Amino acid sequence: MALTFLFYLSSGLFLGWSLGASEASNFGTAVATKMLKFRTAAIISSVCVILGAVIEGSGATKTLDSLGDITSLAGAFMIALSAALTTAWMVKLSIPVSTSQAIVGAIIGWNFFAGRTTDLTILSEIISAWFLGPIFGGIFAILLYYLLKITFTHWKLHILRKDSLTRIALILAGAFGMYALGANNIANVMGVFVPSAPLHQLKLPLGIVLSHEQVLFLLGGIAISVGICTYSHKVIETIGNTIMKLSPLMAWVVVLAHGIVLYIFSSTELRDLLISWHLPTLPLVPVSATQAIIGSVIGLGLAKGGRGLNWSVIGKIVISFVITPITSALVCYISLFFLQNVFQQVVY
Amino acid sequence: MFHIHLSLFSKTKALEADIDKFHDKLIDASISFTKAVKIYLKEGRNADFEKHSKQIKLIEHNADELRRSIENNLYGYNLIPDLRADVLELVENFDKVINKIDEVTYMFYAECPQIPDEYRESFNELVHLSADAAENMCKASRSFFRDLSTVRDYSQKVYSIEHESDLCSRKMLENIFASDRQLAEKLQLRQFIDGIAEIADQAEDFIDQLLIFTIKRDI
Repeated sequence: MALTFLFYLSSGLFLGWSLGASEASNFGTAVATKMLKFRTAAIISSVCVILGAVIEGSGATKTLDSLGDITSLAGAFMIALSAALTTAWMVKLSIPVSTSQAIVGAIIGWNFFAGRTTDLTILSEIISAWFLGPIFGGIFAILLYYLLKITFTHWKLHILRKDSLTRIALILAGAFGMYALGANNIANVMGVFVPSAPLHQLKLPLGIVLSHEQVLFLLGGIAISVGICTYSHKVIETIGNTIMKLSPLMAWVVVLAHGIVLYIFSSTELRDLLISWHLPTLPLVPVSATQAIIGSVIGLGLAKGGRGLNWSVIGKIVISFVITPITSALVCYISLFFLQNVFQQVVY
Repeated sequence: MFHIHLSLFSKTKALEADIDKFHDKLIDASISFTKAVKIYLKEGRNADFEKHSKQIKLIEHNADELRRSIENNLYGYNLIPDLRADVLELVENFDKVINKIDEVTYMFYAECPQIPDEYRESFNELVHLSADAAENMCKASRSFFRDLSTVRDYSQKVYSIEHESDLCSRKMLENIFASDRQLAEKLQLRQFIDGIAEIADQAEDFIDQLLIFTIKRDI
């Protein structure tokens, strides 16, 4: 049973690994500009992503699970695999893909195959979050940029002290970004396995008890960490030197802005707080870290005089909103057909 | 594990102090230079002039040591990685102005030129203008490290002083070459005028570079 479960879980772990390898670019600029060693960045990232996944991963997962109640392990396996394959394909086509869009597409594909209806209210909530992710990223980046500008206009700081503070700020923002990534994106990696995973509570020292869902998130978090430690180096260097060729201070703005975006779409505590203050809330939905970063970079460009508005990138993001879920749904539907009829597996 | 040690902050503090001291050297050199040339124009190469001349040599030597220490620490402790190359270039060019002051003082010391009475006032004026340009350059440079908003003000001052120094040196050269002195004497005087004016020119070049780096540093 354990081996069968691990086999089925492997597609989710693979998705987690690729997420860690490709989307964990929080420390990109800090590492590329040699302000931080890769090893240090990888350790902080790994710890924070696991903490985020275990502590706050359930919010976005619930939303994803209510889109499709996947009670079969084989079905969950194929959904995660289809999402992983679609993501890899989109990356090859240089489209800023989101694992969230791929997994949602795959779940819809499963719904079609299983003859279940897709809850359109939840789907529209999820799609609106995809649009809001980059837009909020841009807005937060603009706000943080002006906050920094005002701060440093009044606070005459020596260039060297500013450098030391920037390092600390980059580490904190990077750690927060990774925590938020874990909290938000673990739903993509492990969300579909939650209803069917045969796991039990795990008792840890110091009286810490992890629910079966949290044990699953811990495994997913470890998979993301392995992705960070084994493969993200190249991606970090590329992002640090090309897409995000920003000064360390501007990188801080982008990393923090994208971290806030991921956090507000994942934190149940924040949502409860907003409810208690009678303020409007946001759906807890997995959003794309890469697209939030792109939104932040564009926002920063606008704040600095509008030179950063790259329509081709914006176009690619919108295209990926359409292409990724459709492709993923198709891949999932066809694969489920084979899994059910050729390999004789119960997929729903 | 973490490469943010407390020692890094103490190193940063020490480096900040070194950068401040490095700037102080230019002010010291400029003051001594003005005094030395004033004494020379009044009394020739006497003991007082020699004392100032030696002082400038010592300042130049100390400035070189500080420059090396700043450069080594910036690289050794991996500080301001994004701006390090710019800061190193600035430090190098800043040091060139101190070197120029030392070089011109030594020319007075070694060559003991005969400055005709009618040009002494102009020489004094040119020396003051060049020293003033160097001091304002120093203020602009300090601002680059601490308060970007004032870099422009001091830079504008340097440009204006350098322009005055240009006018002054040209006028002096025209007068000298219009006189009926020996060509060798004229050429020697020209060498001195060019040397003194070069201090203001180098300050202007430094400012050109500083303003570009300021735009780069501005968030």
